Amino acid sequence: MARYAMVTDLRKCVGCQACTVACCQEWGVPAGQARTNVRTTPLSGTFPDLKSTPMVEQCNQCDRPSCVEACPSGATYKDAGGVVQVDGGVCIGCGFCLDACPYANRFINTATRKVDKCDFCSPRVVRGEPPACVATCTAHAKYFGDLEDRGSEVHRLVFWEGARRQETSSVAIGPNVYYLGKPELVALAFSSDPPHSPKLLTAGQALNGLVRPLVVGMVAATFLGQAVAFFAQIHKGEGDSHE
Amino acid sequence: MAMTITRRGFLKSAAAAGVAATVAPASAGAEVHPPGWSGAARVDKIASNCDLCFWRCGVLASVADGKVVRVEGNPAHPQNKGRLCARGNAGTGLLYDPDRLKTPLLRTGARGEGAFKPVSWDEALDFLAGKLREIKEKHGPESVALFPHGIAASFFIPLMRAYGTPNIGMPSFAQCRGPRDVAYKLTFGRPVGSPEPLDLEESRLVVLIGSHLGENVFTSQTTAFSTALARGAKLLTVDPRFSTAASKSDWWLPIRPGTDMALLLAWMNVLVTEKLYDREYVEQYTSGFNQLAEHVKGLTPEWAAPLTDISADRIRETARAMGAAKPAVLVHPGRHTTWYGDDVQRGRAMAILTALLGAYGRKGGMFLPTSIKTGGFPTPKFPVAARGRADGAGGRFPLAGEEEGVTNGLVDATLSGKPYPIKAWITYAQNVLGSIPQQARTLEAIMKLDLMVVVDVLPVEQTRYADLVLPEATYLERYDPPMVVATAKEPFISVRMPAIKPLHDSRPGWWIARELARRLDLLAWFPWETPEQHLAKLVEPTGVNLAELVATGAVAFPGKPYLEDRPSDERVFPSPSGKIELWSKQLADLGADPLPRYTAHEQPPTGFVRLLYGRAAVHSFGRTQNNEPLHALMPENAVWLSTATARAWGVADGQRIMLENSDGVRSDPVLAKVTEGIRSDCAFMAHGFGAHAPGLRLANRRGTSDNALISRVSVDPLTGATGMRVNFVRPVRA
Amino acid sequence: MSSAVPLTPVPLSTEEAAAMSQRSIKKHDVAIMLVHWFNAATWILEVTTGVALITSRLFRVAPAWYSDLIGGVFGSRANLLKFHIALGVLWIAVLLPYAIFGFRNYLRAEMLNFFERDDRRWLVIRLKMILGRTDEPLPPQDAYNAGQKAFALVVWTMVPVVGISGLIMAFQLFSTTAVGWAVVFHYLAVGAVVSGLFIHVYMGAVFPEEKPAFFSMLTGNVNELFAYSHHFKWWRKVKLAEQAHERKQSPGPEKVP
Repeated sequence: MARYAMVTDLRKCVGCQACTVACCQEWGVPAGQARTNVRTTPLSGTFPDLKSTPMVEQCNQCDRPSCVEACPSGATYKDAGGVVQVDGGVCIGCGFCLDACPYANRFINTATRKVDKCDFCSPRVVRGEPPACVATCTAHAKYFGDLEDRGSEVHRLVFWEGARRQETSSVAIGPNVYYLGKPELVALAFSSDPPHSPKLLTAGQALNGLVRPLVVGMVAATFLGQAVAFFAQIHKGEGDSHE
Repeated sequence: MAMTITRRGFLKSAAAAGVAATVAPASAGAEVHPPGWSGAARVDKIASNCDLCFWRCGVLASVADGKVVRVEGNPAHPQNKGRLCARGNAGTGLLYDPDRLKTPLLRTGARGEGAFKPVSWDEALDFLAGKLREIKEKHGPESVALFPHGIAASFFIPLMRAYGTPNIGMPSFAQCRGPRDVAYKLTFGRPVGSPEPLDLEESRLVVLIGSHLGENVFTSQTTAFSTALARGAKLLTVDPRFSTAASKSDWWLPIRPGTDMALLLAWMNVLVTEKLYDREYVEQYTSGFNQLAEHVKGLTPEWAAPLTDISADRIRETARAMGAAKPAVLVHPGRHTTWYGDDVQRGRAMAILTALLGAYGRKGGMFLPTSIKTGGFPTPKFPVAARGRADGAGGRFPLAGEEEGVTNGLVDATLSGKPYPIKAWITYAQNVLGSIPQQARTLEAIMKLDLMVVVDVLPVEQTRYADLVLPEATYLERYDPPMVVATAKEPFISVRMPAIKPLHDSRPGWWIARELARRLDLLAWFPWETPEQHLAKLVEPTGVNLAELVATGAVAFPGKPYLEDRPSDERVFPSPSGKIELWSKQLADLGADPLPRYTAHEQPPTGFVRLLYGRAAVHSFGRTQNNEPLHALMPENAVWLSTATARAWGVADGQRIMLENSDGVRSDPVLAKVTEGIRSDCAFMAHGFGAHAPGLRLANRRGTSDNALISRVSVDPLTGATGMRVNFVRPVRA
Repeated sequence: MSSAVPLTPVPLSTEEAAAMSQRSIKKHDVAIMLVHWFNAATWILEVTTGVALITSRLFRVAPAWYSDLIGGVFGSRANLLKFHIALGVLWIAVLLPYAIFGFRNYLRAEMLNFFERDDRRWLVIRLKMILGRTDEPLPPQDAYNAGQKAFALVVWTMVPVVGISGLIMAFQLFSTTAVGWAVVFHYLAVGAVVSGLFIHVYMGAVFPEEKPAFFSMLTGNVNELFAYSHHFKWWRKVKLAEQAHERKQSPGPEKVP
């Protein structure tokens, strides 16, 4: 059992997108899409008292992922290392999980038409290599490791250096990507694109709220109806036949 | 003859040449299957260096089934240590760009029409050799000008010099680093060099004046910069725009453009008058301090404040911070320094400031380069050009060097016919319509030529105007001379080796140069047959194991970066006096200011703002706009306008507008980015966009060209460098 | 044998009933029977695997251990889905040509005359009979009684929905929104058919009275007594057609009408 996590140091990050391109190249994500989301926050303040910071996001591999429940086919699940995986062989690309992610870090890959997202470079990690973004970061701003490992850098940064995770009073599902930086800049990074409450697509809501009860009701009714008829039949005996 | 070499092929021939090849290659493949490439029987990782910009970080190209599937940083490379920026990671976007030049092309229609027919290499090179012979006879060899750039320029330059022309124009001097390198050479005895020898990691205060590190991304310099910040270094950024660096700064000074000199002089004033400069260092290593002290006496922060639009308190505060942090203060010398025409003098001011802080040759400041002795083949002397250079280097531009020349001087000569007519241009890896300002003049010059030859990888803007187009292979398909980097704390040699054979009918630069040499009977200057031989000879004096060098990609040597590492009898400052010359006799002898003086530069007229330009983190100049993954991240540039300017112009954020400059030259439509993060007297855009290059399907006409709007330049009299921040723009009324 | 064909069912004498029960009428041809059992087998497998695929607490109809069990049978959930898709595609591949070229077989008048008065009354009376609330006789029915017709209606409308939505999900057709809604409609349509199936299977396989109907799907024939008593209107058509056919064959001495 492990608990993989990432820490990004916003003091160091310059928003150069090396991580984005490395990731896209490593995993063949089509041009125009990316598993990472690198941005610079809108400016806060007025000239010349301005504040802004680069910010990097990707799937947070949450402790209590809201996307897992939204997936009808169970294609997305949390693995033994805490990484939220998407099994491409089981995903049908219905998109229910997209809005279920409060951080909007999942997307439909236009080439496969199925869900795509960061998986902390699981195949690389299995081989003992760091995730591609961490390996390439020009500013050495990203750290990756196992929070359960007390000797790891991420353990130190999270538990001793005060790296923060992006949670609000309404969204607290335990993201495992943490951030370091000047407190007001980290706060700015968080507040400029806050997580939204997990939502379900209309189709998903229809399925959960309307269709499922309807179907369960219908099936139960007909099943019970036949059960009743069966018992009635047994009770009456075989004499009811017209033959 | 082998045109390209693979690592294994190289090792075989190296063994044949008697060099021990005992070390196994970096990755013998087979055991590691990269994700998503299952089915590939074997993956080789070829060590090389990147060419998406000029930093040339070490890369590993993964090759599976003859295809490069991934380019990533080489962990064994001493410069970037496995890290690689967005452009480097997008190497395959260049290699497999469908718009690449694929065959030699010979013009069929009128020049500029863009009508070509594909021809064979023999036909193309025979044609070129024939033309060059003809021109040599009729007009003399000096009438051919070479516009090269990049590492393999070192094949084309000796070729053309052997042919008999001294006329070489690389934009890296007169459009970029020239003034800075000349200024630091005048002061310290050596130019800054590239990569810059900056001891960022050890700095306690980093001063950026004219640098937007973070948007200008060089992998190892970004690493060092970020490391410095993480270790608690303070950051001072002087920039009219709230750059990424500014957003991380302890002090952001939004200076009025054109007034940096005043700020620099006022800082010197504070350091001198408050005795905050490094007195021991200045006494021991410099000359001319008294003249300097006298010179800056009246140049107080109060004097500078109204000029720079920075408060005197701020100027004083930041000077004192420098004084407190010395000698570990890194005054970044900048890179592109061709701004206002007095750029050598501004560079001098920065060099002097560095010296006052005792930071040159010290920890946390600028470290000293350690040279590596490399070898070469004995070649005949180049013929002496009877008529001398046409670009003014060493002449009317006394401090411009011969190696890089003055590109705009060549344009002048071509247009005017003085000192003698230039009849032919050969460009190698340089798009003159994008690299040289005053595009209209450059185009006019091209149309006057008898011969225009373009050697490039992509059909860039100028390609349409060529008579002959030669397709070069990309860096992933060719051998180039190794990088020999002295400006590193541990100097190194880094090789560029092909990962795959050239695609289409492209050829490496060395082959093109050599084939041309053969046809022109100039092989005496190319006394080697294969890249292996070339590389082996070059690294011979270093004693490096060639196989190891090729396998790992780079070999580092011990360095002596600080003054304290050098023996006391070493001439550490190779200036004429052997000291750091705060007061420059050389400049005085040339009739120029021996100490930098503030000159007021023209401010934008009413209704106009100054056009500033710079870099974007995901692009390299105008080279990468057609690279698919990079294009996807930034398909076009935007013009930064302050909210006040936008309000005055009636422009909304995201609106597409057209700009026109003071000469009435109009831009293409460009997105407006309305922001608080820039002064109201200037506008900013990323350089390299808006090319009119129909062959570049992704890049063509996306965004607008800053270069097209630079119709005025302020030429530095010492170097010929074209100051380009002297153009003013306003919106075009609909 | 009386050559009179009554308009409405008349009570039969025991001899007449016994005679009738010995005679057979062809009801289903081979194509119909094969398609029926193919459907049955496919639907059993598809519902079994399909239900196992829905794991989310928000949408599932079976407990987690069921999904694990069925998934385990196939080795992985990916294999489970592959099987479900492959079988679904096969099902469509078999059904589609039949639907297109064999429509004459199933789009017959006696199936299309939905819900005449007799059908409506039949449904009401039948329901009351199940609840033991009535002794009323059922109105005469055609080849397929109202209940069977109702089920056919459900199948004809829902099967295309199941098939099309299945294909959309299997191959990510059109758009992500399309796939999302396909999940909903696939679920709904399958649910409707499964509900109908409970009745259909019970009536066909369990309810003793309809046993001849069950065997007719295996032999293609029903005995004439069953036809007379349960599907009178159809028996009548068959009889009239027989007589017309006989007259044509042997136009001999006049038959007494």
